[in-house]
Amino acid sequence: MKLSQDTILHAAVAALREQVAPAIQDPFIEDVLRMAANQVSMVADAWDSAAALRIDENQRMRTLFAESAGAVADNGLAERLADAAQSSDPGYRISELDRENGRLRSLLVELHTHVEASASEPARVIDRRIWRHLQDVEAKRAPR
Amino acid sequence: MEDRIARYLSHRMPQARDVAVHDLARIAGGSSQETFRFRAVWREGVETVERALILRRAPVAGTVVVQQDLEFNVYAALAGRGVPVPHAHFLELDPQWLDRSFFIMDLCPGKPGSFSDADPYPGIDAEIARQFWRHLGTLAAIDHRAIGLDHLRNGAATGRFWARELDHWEAILDEGELYVEPIVRGAIRWMRANPPPEPRKPAITHGDYRSGNFLFMPDGRISAILDWEMCHISDPLEDIAWALDPLWSMARHLPEAESLAIWEEASEMTVDREALDWWRLFAPVKGCGIWTTAEASIAEGRSGEMIVLGAAVLAGRVHRNAVLTRMIERGAGR
Repeated sequence: MKLSQDTILHAAVAALREQVAPAIQDPFIEDVLRMAANQVSMVADAWDSAAALRIDENQRMRTLFAESAGAVADNGLAERLADAAQSSDPGYRISELDRENGRLRSLLVELHTHVEASASEPARVIDRRIWRHLQDVEAKRAPR
Repeated sequence: MEDRIARYLSHRMPQARDVAVHDLARIAGGSSQETFRFRAVWREGVETVERALILRRAPVAGTVVVQQDLEFNVYAALAGRGVPVPHAHFLELDPQWLDRSFFIMDLCPGKPGSFSDADPYPGIDAEIARQFWRHLGTLAAIDHRAIGLDHLRNGAATGRFWARELDHWEAILDEGELYVEPIVRGAIRWMRANPPPEPRKPAITHGDYRSGNFLFMPDGRISAILDWEMCHISDPLEDIAWALDPLWSMARHLPEAESLAIWEEASEMTVDREALDWWRLFAPVKGCGIWTTAEASIAEGRSGEMIVLGAAVLAGRVHRNAVLTRMIERGAGR
């Protein structure tokens, strides 16, 4: 197998742009084609790293939970953080990783809301760590 | 579709004979509604009448939930009030004519300038920006109750517009998000904890007042302000902050200080710079709400429009980053 999925998609985009687009007369349809080709191109660019990004992001959240659980005053939340910290991705399909990502994100929001309500230094440290984590996630997910 | 529109026009204009519709074409741009231009020709007495018209039809789904009567009523209410808007002719909510609700208005002269172009208003951008801010100031000065727009969202409210709008967009995020965005939720909590002061008066708020949502002439005149489907009543700073959002900022074309001075003169109000800063964070949060609706429209199969998909993917990322940047400016992460 010499063709990766992203190579196939990029070839399809090239055909749309170079062969199909010049034959279109309707400016509205031409615009639709241009936008569709851009989307396919973006998917192709993201294909290779899609699973790795999600696995890394999920693991970083678990690490953050592990390091925060001890500093959380709410016992119920602390327990859920500890449980999440011990969890692992249920599978490596993108849809499975995304669902797990969504579950962990919801817990992250809960943790964030909790520490914002506290003026203690440990809570401030966790708040800063969460914002840095969110910056890292955005930077890693930015299109290459 | 030309025949169906002609039948509708005949129904609405019983005095017209031999109504025909020609040159129907869908117009690119605008992700909230389907927009078509066409030429209508009919006979009235011994006269032949010809009109260039626009038809705006509700989409199955898109970036916002469209209330078609809202935009039509705003056009009607603002006619002759100093803000250039197209003359709106017919509103039709019955789907029997064109499957979904729609309205018909005049095709105004001029062309739109895309905010994604490097130079959308070549040689005339400063003059266009001056008018842009003057028109927004004029809009802010109008008493919405006096022109029958108290039915708009927040139309009966006297204050707490910041909270009403934040509630509105948070509810849209709750409904549309598949997975929660911690950045946006963190910003919303910050905004609730640090509210802006009340405005001097509530204002008619366009809701999407920005570069690209107006038509301009080669001489630099703005001929029509369009796309009022998100119009509501709010703090006038909401539209100012939206127009200055980095994704489409009019500050590219005129320095911000001069822009705000023009607005202040036209509105006879002062811009509270600190309050404006709150609304500058609100703008990309609202953007995330819009793009979340777009995502949901695509994900649920209710829209297949490429412009909706593009907005969901690209603009969503840009605005989430803008929220993050503004939160960091406010000390988040330090």
